[in-house]
Amino acid sequence: MSTAITDAATVTRVPVTGKEKRLLRHAMMPHMLCPGCGHGIILDAMLSVLSERYDNLDNVAFVAGIGCSSRIIGYIDACTLHTTHGRPLSFATGLKLARPELTVIVITGDGDGLSIGGNHLIHAARRNIDLTCVLLNNEIYGMTGGQAAPTTVLGAYTTTTPQGNTQHSFDAAELAKAAGATFVARAQSYRPQVFGEVFGQALDHVGFSFIEVMSDCTEYFGRTNRFGGGADMLMSQARYEPSIDADLARRPTVEPIADAQPVRPVLPTGLLYRSSRLTLEETMGIKGARSSEVNETGQYSTDQGRDA
Amino acid sequence: MTKATDRFTDPSPDQTAQPPDNSLASSAEPAPARSSKERNPLGELKGNMVLAGVGGQGIITASNTISFACMQAGLDVKKSEVHGMSQRGGTVVSHLRFGPEVHSVMLEPEQAEWILGFEWEEGLRFLEYLKPGGVAFVSTERRIPPTAQADRRGGRVDYALESAPPDGVVPIDTYAIAGDAALERPAIAQTVLLGALSVEMGLPVEIWKEAIAATVPPKTVEANLVAFENGRSWYKRWKQDTAGSKGQTVLQANGSKKSYESIPGSGGGKAVDASRTTIEAWRGGIPKVEIVRDWCKGCNICVAVCPERVLSLDRFDIAVASNPDRCTGCGLCARLCPDMAIEIWLDVPTHLGASTE
Repeated sequence: MSTAITDAATVTRVPVTGKEKRLLRHAMMPHMLCPGCGHGIILDAMLSVLSERYDNLDNVAFVAGIGCSSRIIGYIDACTLHTTHGRPLSFATGLKLARPELTVIVITGDGDGLSIGGNHLIHAARRNIDLTCVLLNNEIYGMTGGQAAPTTVLGAYTTTTPQGNTQHSFDAAELAKAAGATFVARAQSYRPQVFGEVFGQALDHVGFSFIEVMSDCTEYFGRTNRFGGGADMLMSQARYEPSIDADLARRPTVEPIADAQPVRPVLPTGLLYRSSRLTLEETMGIKGARSSEVNETGQYSTDQGRDA
Repeated sequence: MTKATDRFTDPSPDQTAQPPDNSLASSAEPAPARSSKERNPLGELKGNMVLAGVGGQGIITASNTISFACMQAGLDVKKSEVHGMSQRGGTVVSHLRFGPEVHSVMLEPEQAEWILGFEWEEGLRFLEYLKPGGVAFVSTERRIPPTAQADRRGGRVDYALESAPPDGVVPIDTYAIAGDAALERPAIAQTVLLGALSVEMGLPVEIWKEAIAATVPPKTVEANLVAFENGRSWYKRWKQDTAGSKGQTVLQANGSKKSYESIPGSGGGKAVDASRTTIEAWRGGIPKVEIVRDWCKGCNICVAVCPERVLSLDRFDIAVASNPDRCTGCGLCARLCPDMAIEIWLDVPTHLGASTE
């Protein structure tokens, strides 16, 4: 009906999505993640934010450990450092101190960052080094075959907890906040734009920025807990969600239910905590680092922090 | 219901002292306030109209604007509206009557000089109220209620210009005429209808502008005035160009768009293209969806989240755009695709001034 519009000479092609694809290593695609895995959504959202900020990622370094989550840096056309299990924050600390002009982003998982590398996480948060840590929490050890992780909620089935998990789980955001992180946020793979928003704020923040992302392991966590396929699991993230402004202190507890059928944890999302403190670079007197005291926006004062 | 008259506000002392005589006096000879109104050249204007549309389109605001304008002209106005289900995308209809003195508020069929249709089908639905020879200004915007979207067949709607509208109907592509602000605030587009109506109603433009400034949200006054001016000048040109056809629209059932192509939109020199759909005007282009087959792993997320059911899995469990015409370009599938296999873009007609950033 509309020959005039489809004529190439009179039509301009304006991308709605897909601008982030130029930051991919196209030779590596498609990626190795399972169908419906939430990590891919986060990869897409992360690159969307970066594509709006950078023409190329030559001055952005991605550091990752071992695990499904850490594998996603292999598809990003940036300076990437695939390190030993649990130690991406240690490598990233050294990298940042040696090259303070780099934007360092650490991708880690719940097993990598909380179990094997739990100590490195709390010490990186304590030192308040100026980097961004994205922890992809899929509540299970996906790569090694679906064992229970420190983030597996009470009652959930895994290959090592066939009767249901009998242990309590970590709250990674609260852990990072208690350890001294100056920017703590939580997002979901169900809402990539919320993640993009807090990820952009974390990149701007001077100091240790920690984002926990609730992701989906469809092959192990979803299958053993009968959450359905990737689409069903993604939708289940929205089912019990609280308001975004919910406070950490008012975090609702997950009640173990009678028939031991596990539920998705109810967690507050969005920006949870933000404060300002001297960074490691400043206390060490490193030249070329960003300063937490002098910032152009001036919004990172301590009283802005939610729980300060 | 708005009563705009000074009968109740400043009665003369004689009338309050002698109420029985008052009724006789007002029927026999005009009251002092009314005689001053009769010297007003606008005081003899009268008319009836129906405003119809879907909740959220600014129908109540528009009827307030018209009422305010009539009150400024010293006329009596009454209006009554039905807006019960408006929040759920239901119909909103407002009857508005003005004149030297208005007694009843409701209209009967074939009593309205004008109909303002804020939505294409809602506007046409109330055509029975139109007097023979009246004018119905109907926006070509179409809104499908959410409940009907669940299992509807069509997707992206091409508004009903493929069939000739009834006599007396002036189809107005409000989004194209209103200017850029309408893309952000849809209600601004409907001010174009007020602009077109103002040509017919006979009130001075200054009164209209004053009424718009007084009734729309303060932030949008400027954009609304632009839309008003654009609608006014568009309708004047439309009347000129269709003068030979005795008020009948020149759009033919065979799809002839001669009249539209010859009438450039008045706003900023942008041409009004009749072949553009409302969604195009809304989003600035035709949305296109493209799927990289080699990257798709068939997780079904895009199929599940697409509100328009554009996508499906083929026999190889690869997502395909089986109904590409339905795509509205919301981008949900692309943002939630874990395999980054979906890409959405808009084909924007060059005359809309698309920037590729």
